[in-house]
Amino acid sequence: MTNSTEMNDGLYEQLRLELRRGCLSMAVLGQLRTEQYGYTLRQRLAALGLAIDEGTLYPLLRRLEAQGLLVSEWREEDKRSKRFYRLSPDGKHILKQLLAEWESMNKVLKQIL
Amino acid sequence: MELIDRYLQAVKFWLPKAQRDDIIAELSEDIHSQIEDKEAELGRKADDGDVGAILKQCGHPLLVAQRYSPQEYLIGPSMFPIYSFVLKIVGLVYVLPWLLVWLGYVIFSPAYRAQNPIHNLWPLWQGIVALVFAITLGFAFVERFMAKTWAQKDWDPRKLPSVRDSNQIPRSSSIFDLTIGIAFIVWWATHLRFRTVFEFSGATITLAPMWRFFLCGLLLVSAVTVALSGVNLIRRCWTRFTACIRLAIDCGGSTLFCWLLKTAILVEITAPNVPPEKTLAATKAINMGASRIFPAAVVLCLVIVLVDLRRIIRVKTTVTKLAPCVAAARTGSEP
Repeated sequence: MTNSTEMNDGLYEQLRLELRRGCLSMAVLGQLRTEQYGYTLRQRLAALGLAIDEGTLYPLLRRLEAQGLLVSEWREEDKRSKRFYRLSPDGKHILKQLLAEWESMNKVLKQIL
Repeated sequence: MELIDRYLQAVKFWLPKAQRDDIIAELSEDIHSQIEDKEAELGRKADDGDVGAILKQCGHPLLVAQRYSPQEYLIGPSMFPIYSFVLKIVGLVYVLPWLLVWLGYVIFSPAYRAQNPIHNLWPLWQGIVALVFAITLGFAFVERFMAKTWAQKDWDPRKLPSVRDSNQIPRSSSIFDLTIGIAFIVWWATHLRFRTVFEFSGATITLAPMWRFFLCGLLLVSAVTVALSGVNLIRRCWTRFTACIRLAIDCGGSTLFCWLLKTAILVEITAPNVPPEKTLAATKAINMGASRIFPAAVVLCLVIVLVDLRRIIRVKTTVTKLAPCVAAARTGSEP
């Protein structure tokens, strides 16, 4: 019984992470329609109910930038150097497509569930 | 903030060289922002305990650094099923026969048992290591340079192999058995009969008298094989009855073969221009060779019998599930 519960918990966690992975990219892209640096982005996402740790966010930002969806620049603010991110033109285009796909999937899922 | 510097240094060590400074600058900024917020919340300067708690929440330096590294693997998901299949084949055609033969010698040969049989497994182990290394290297090469193009290669579903029915008897196998059986019967009738003395270009080979019984037994086995192959050619599907006959044939053939190996198969060899001591040595060597392969022969025969038994069980289970071949056999149509 305990083994089965542990297995189910593990499976749930794995599926939850899979579901979350795609959503996080979309949430980050969506938030970066306005320029932000990593820490404020994290805070805003957390305030909206999508907590994300730095170990996940910064590698994700780097990956999205390497894919050409984000652009970044180092700037000084409050006497500290910060890296500001914003959506690139390609990122805007992809986000639009992703949102359309998301809405369509959401519609289907609502019908199914 | 020595603690932060120590933490960042530990993270930095594991980061990809090209991005090290950039990542550390960003991570440092994030940690400092967190500390600032904490200080605002506490209304005092953060002490080592507060900083330690924040760093702990950030995660172990190795794990933090690892998230920035590209995901790398030697053999990727597209190649792994083939890699695993090849390793299984190696296990089946190399490791398993090797172990079975070794086990045969351990069980049936006291002389082999006396010479530290565990030590004799060393070449097997060396072989496994070499094979696995070579296969892994080969697949790693394919993964690195060819996997992408291979996976994107155009393919035609019509060229995929037809659905396999394990109960269906390949026509080629029946024809092969039939040919061998008939050839032996003809050979027995025209040349062998009950002879045990044969002459080849002046040399005389005298077989042991038990060869008569062996050949008669083999004649019987061949006759039943010919009959079964004929039936299998017409009805190309194993039934419980034909599978049992196959088992009986293989049991009979295996017993005869192993029994023959246990006896001195040659009485003598004589040749006009060869000294008798040389022919005697050759006779002894052949007899000894036959007795030496006895353990391996027993294991081989056991494997054949096990395969036959598995077939009977498979037929029994698929009859209940009504496999395509069995269904076709029942309706009388071509499977």
